[in-house]
Amino acid sequence: MKNISKKIYLALIILFLYLPIFVLIVASFNDSKILGNWDGFTLNWYRELFDNASIMNALKTTLILALLASIIATVLGTLACLTISKMKKSTRTIIMSITNIPMLNAEIVTALAFMLLFVGLGISLSFSTVLIAHVTFCIPYVVLNVMPKVSQMDNNMYEAALDLGATPFQAFYKVTIPEIMPGVLSGFLMSFTMSLDDFIITHFTRGSGIDTLSTKIYTSVRKGIQPEMYALSTILFVTVFVLLFLVNYGPSTKAKKSVTTFVFKSKMRVAMVTAVVLIFGVVGYFALKDDKNYIGDLYVYNWGEYIDPEVIELFEEETGYKVHYEEFETNEEMYAIIAKGARSYDVICPSDYMVEKMIQNELLAEIDYSNVPNLQYIGEQYMTSAEGFDPGNKYCVPYTWGTVGIMYNKTMVDDEVNSWSILFDEKYEGQILMQASVRDAYCVALSYLGYSINTLDEDELKEATDLLISQKPIVQAYVIDQVRDKMIKNAAALAVIYSGEAIYMQEENPNLEYVVPDEGSNVWIDGWVIPKDCQNKEAAEAWINFMCDPEIALMNFEYITYSTPNEASRELIEDEAIRNSQIAFPDDAVLSRCHVYNYLGKEGDELYDYYWTMVGGASSE
Amino acid sequence: MNKARRKNALLASPYIVWIAAFIIIPLLFIGYYGFTDREGNFTWENITTIVRPEYYNALGLSLLLAVISTVICLLLAYPLAYILRNMNMSKQGFIVFVFILPMWMNFLLRTYAWQAILDINGVLDHFLAMFGITDFNIINTPAAIVIGMVYDFLPFMVLPIYNVLVKIDDNVINAARDLGANFWQTLFKIILPLSKPGIASGIIMVFVPALTTFVISDILGGGKLLLIGNLVENKVKADNLNLGAGLSLVLMIFIIINMLFSNGDDTDVNTVKKEVKK
Repeated sequence: MKNISKKIYLALIILFLYLPIFVLIVASFNDSKILGNWDGFTLNWYRELFDNASIMNALKTTLILALLASIIATVLGTLACLTISKMKKSTRTIIMSITNIPMLNAEIVTALAFMLLFVGLGISLSFSTVLIAHVTFCIPYVVLNVMPKVSQMDNNMYEAALDLGATPFQAFYKVTIPEIMPGVLSGFLMSFTMSLDDFIITHFTRGSGIDTLSTKIYTSVRKGIQPEMYALSTILFVTVFVLLFLVNYGPSTKAKKSVTTFVFKSKMRVAMVTAVVLIFGVVGYFALKDDKNYIGDLYVYNWGEYIDPEVIELFEEETGYKVHYEEFETNEEMYAIIAKGARSYDVICPSDYMVEKMIQNELLAEIDYSNVPNLQYIGEQYMTSAEGFDPGNKYCVPYTWGTVGIMYNKTMVDDEVNSWSILFDEKYEGQILMQASVRDAYCVALSYLGYSINTLDEDELKEATDLLISQKPIVQAYVIDQVRDKMIKNAAALAVIYSGEAIYMQEENPNLEYVVPDEGSNVWIDGWVIPKDCQNKEAAEAWINFMCDPEIALMNFEYITYSTPNEASRELIEDEAIRNSQIAFPDDAVLSRCHVYNYLGKEGDELYDYYWTMVGGASSE
Repeated sequence: MNKARRKNALLASPYIVWIAAFIIIPLLFIGYYGFTDREGNFTWENITTIVRPEYYNALGLSLLLAVISTVICLLLAYPLAYILRNMNMSKQGFIVFVFILPMWMNFLLRTYAWQAILDINGVLDHFLAMFGITDFNIINTPAAIVIGMVYDFLPFMVLPIYNVLVKIDDNVINAARDLGANFWQTLFKIILPLSKPGIASGIIMVFVPALTTFVISDILGGGKLLLIGNLVENKVKADNLNLGAGLSLVLMIFIIINMLFSNGDDTDVNTVKKEVKK
């Protein structure tokens, strides 16, 4: 009886641990891109995985990083154990306490400490900075495993070897090493696993062009993780699982020894075989794949899911530049990275007010338009609007534009939607998705209250803040691009969103409708700029020119569905309903009530951040 | 002798340089940024920001959720480790692996999977609907965050406790039984005291990450619940490194308390042996 309850308990815990893994494995065979929304069986993601250069690159970086970090950490850590053990007790205690700091400290503090070290010393973030950070947090795990072996070791053995005529090196090699090897290996294994799974420290210390699987997942998630990622994870997981199974139930099992040696041995075998399989697999893959010759590198920093991936390939083929493509989620996040000089990019796609801020802070280089002949295709009215934040059109070439409005589900909302007021209606408690970015959240509140979306008046801001705080209990979540999946899944009734998402979402769920409220809203332009510390301006200009090509702009429009300022490209849109869509290309009546964001200055930014943190910290009950 | 010592110091030097450069100096940088403003002038402001309600509320909520998660982990892990200890030998290695294996699937992906499970119209909703249960929503609540924390950190509680429990000699337990102790007496008088070092390491391994996470609250809290980790991350994102560093210094106070707690309880195996001899 008792045994049964024990087994049930064990089974429940295992269910709890493996339920999410099961969900992910199912997702890898799911035709729908949305996690948890079954749409039929497919093997496509497995097929497409190997063609997905960004995921395969992230895998390569992750494995190389984990391997290098754990090797260096193992060597340093083992050396440390051998020498520290011979020191005075007081010195030993101090060194050991310092060694353990990264293990006991919060990851976010360690991560920030590394970031401040590198930024403070003016070292720009790169692969080496991540590697240093990884080695440092892996060392304690090596020491943890090796130290007990070193203390257990009988020093007389080593002395005896010397007495019998061995050189110190021979004695070390023949006596000491075999003695401590089990500890060294399990330290190595633990480091490898830790490095592989790390997110926070990598997130804070990585340089441009460096994505591990973790950072790739984190930046891609807002727009929905690429299902290829589930396929890759399933392959990794199943490989380890099968190896484990073979090791434990295979014919060579000689269990019945002590548990620790048994666990240790199987661990080692799994680790070794996995590492070998993975590394050979990946290296082999790249040996076959990576045989192109590029004439130079181009580092692109763009919004998440903001380009047709095929366009990148076409650009590489046409110009011969190797594109390192990275994504950001908010203007503010991008600005922090550029302003600190933490990472450098050649071409970036910020929004209007951020372009203005970057110009004022002298972060941008003027574009040489003789290298961008395709500029002629961009509609004149957009260049004129762009003068609002880029006087003289010196720094920025418009890429996309749109409005901010309300997306709602016709089956879930029976009121007429034409005012922001509906977002404050308690009737829709738990059904509302708000934007998580400062300016857009304040755009909603300020427009509703009838104030300018660029106000710096403290009373008006306070009023808007109180309004947002009072709204908090009825908001389901503050999100950015996740709006898409949630609205398509019918998980919410109303959402604040950019017009560009609307066309795609309506295709997926015809019950959705988009409105720009009567009180007015924001109209925005995102455009390409070249930062001052750009390493390859020629390539950057070639990129901008390529983006202005009508055919290319059309590909992007069809993929991302954000309105294009490219007039020639709009003429190419085949579907008349879309070419004349009021959502994608609203008429002047709508546009006349929409305003652009202006850069508010440093004090203005801090003021908004101050009030926005108050909204964030307010109770949601 | 002196020569040997000098040689030893020479061999140790790369390591000492490494930890000085990459453990001590970065922490000094946190201190420097935490006590200065953007212009580099000394200020207390980054530290005292914590008394603003939106900040101490976040800290309070983080402490509360971290304590709850740690307690739940302990309550789930202890019986589990005990059951695992008593299982037949040849399966033991495999079963310990069962708890490490999930770590080979990226932790962000696993947390997103929880989001898909708990979400409105999510996997759990579809499952419950079969039993006629609707309107069960815990996504974007503290409960969802606690589930995420317990899920992610449970193995860190199970493994140290398990490691201590397997080292307890069966004879000690049998002796207690022979001397007339019942199951509960054996548990509270013998097994529990002997497993204290494992429990202590487990608490340390769970409490700090739970206190300082920003990923789990981000994914499962819907941006509605700010934890102290989210604030640090937000400040770094908003390019306010000084405030981020100041908040980290506040966090470190709690981490140091936790470290002292760990040192107070000797986690050395020798203690176990000593106690067994008593």
